Amino acid sequence: MGSSIQKAIELILSADPELLNILATTARVCLTSSILALVIGVPLGILFGAERFPGRRVLLVLNRTLIGMPPVVCGLLFYMLFSGVGPFRHLHLLFTVKLMILAQVVLITPIIIGIMETFVADTAPALRETARGLGFGRIKEYRLLINECLYSIFSAYLLSFARAIAEVGAVAMVGGAIAWKTNVMTTAIMMYTNRGSFTLGIALGLILLTLSLLVNVVLSLMQGRLSR
Amino acid sequence: MKKTVSLLLALVMIFALCACGQAAAPVATEAPAPAEAPAEEPAPAEEPAAEADALVVDTCILKEADDAMINNYSLLAVNPEAPWVDADGNPVSDVTINTVGAAALINWLLSEEGQDLAANYGFDQYGEYLFYLKDGRPVSTAEIPAATEETRIIRLSTTTSVNDSGLLGYLLPIFEEKYGYEVEVYSAGTGKSIANAKMGNADLILVHSKKQEEAFIEEGFSCVLDGMDTERLNWMYNYFVLCGPSADPAGVKDAADVKAAFQAIADGKFPFISRGDGSGTHTKELSLWPEDLGITAEAESFKDYTDWYISANTGMGACLVMAEEMGAYILTDKATFLTFVANDGVMG
Repeated sequence: MGSSIQKAIELILSADPELLNILATTARVCLTSSILALVIGVPLGILFGAERFPGRRVLLVLNRTLIGMPPVVCGLLFYMLFSGVGPFRHLHLLFTVKLMILAQVVLITPIIIGIMETFVADTAPALRETARGLGFGRIKEYRLLINECLYSIFSAYLLSFARAIAEVGAVAMVGGAIAWKTNVMTTAIMMYTNRGSFTLGIALGLILLTLSLLVNVVLSLMQGRLSR
Repeated sequence: MKKTVSLLLALVMIFALCACGQAAAPVATEAPAPAEAPAEEPAPAEEPAAEADALVVDTCILKEADDAMINNYSLLAVNPEAPWVDADGNPVSDVTINTVGAAALINWLLSEEGQDLAANYGFDQYGEYLFYLKDGRPVSTAEIPAATEETRIIRLSTTTSVNDSGLLGYLLPIFEEKYGYEVEVYSAGTGKSIANAKMGNADLILVHSKKQEEAFIEEGFSCVLDGMDTERLNWMYNYFVLCGPSADPAGVKDAADVKAAFQAIADGKFPFISRGDGSGTHTKELSLWPEDLGITAEAESFKDYTDWYISANTGMGACLVMAEEMGAYILTDKATFLTFVANDGVMG
């Protein structure tokens, strides 16, 4: 462990261009995918939680199933669809960062929908009563609800970011871990481990954990300010 | 208030991390020293060069340069007119393959410049050549066109050994710089590399399993390039080596040939690490076991041998680490093994 930590620090200090490229790709993939998932997932989650409509329960069960989808299955699916012989071959997306983001959005969105749905389903009835009592219209009622949700939106985002940065199965399948192009932290760790360089793998793992810690500290600070 | 506390906490954790690193550093550099002494003593009694470096690594080469152990590397261009089928077996007609780019890379690798570079690779670093050029190899004098917008990206699907030994990382930048191409390397075991090409995701493959290459050609997935005689351009080779603990409990070193060595390992039930991942090395290993054992790629075939036959299903380097830990025998390509030893048992 000791030599790994030393190696991690050396790696960061040396500003190795390949490491910087891996870090940049990682940041691009997991920030974009988690934000996209947030944009899609939050409205859907609030809708599922606040409204009652036919088919809602079926959709919720489907969503919960998707939460449990193994990343490699998602990766394999995208690999088949976007392969040179797959139905979407003309888009030429296999082994690109774009497809990695897309695969992660598919993985993460259900988690955000799930979290938001649980929270809203719990809060909405009481809130609705208050809103009606105050004589609010529908739009104002929703604004109040969203205001109430901000804290859990942050929680949902933290969780989805964590999932995106830690995920390896899907990005390895659809990205192919191509150096200087689609290699991210997790696939690089896997690659080094396969080669037998465990020390370098752990060093990268430590950098990944530290980055995750920093992002979480910043977001938690923002979240803390929000709750006051 | 809350904010300052959190910030302080974060800083403390970062400092703790740095402090751990510094505190642990001297321990890490000292640690291998005592281990060197016992390993050094038996070493001189055995083989010379390889072991002199192997101060920390106990695993050593026991059997090499046997004709059955030649490891042939071949280049195959992917045929754009191949009988492509999708996952359901329906024919697909318009698969995009960059044949011009594939031909450019192949012609360069087979040119005088490319061949010289490959043949001399690794000597400075390891004091041994890692790859040898084959007699009667295909040679190219074709002019290599500069990259255009359509042909710029070349997708190379290849085996881990040429990538992990650093050969591609050494050759490709020279080619890219000179002609303006960009080579995207997809590196996996030979089985997976070929499967990737069959899905239309590669323009050429560089692999080392004759049987699987011939099947690939048979199915029509490869084509003959202009100026070449065959699909399978076999220009480079090195040796597989049988490695194991320096004590050699199975007596592999004294075996008449490599097949007898594998027989001895099986008879004595000494631990053996198999790649188990459909790679070229795995295919080679399967062909070396005594036939009556019936070991194949199927898990069913070695279920009675699990007390000594370990199917690791991982990369060459990770398998070598495993063999070192367990004192097991292992079949590996020489290039990866030399890299492993040069880095004291961890792959660089």
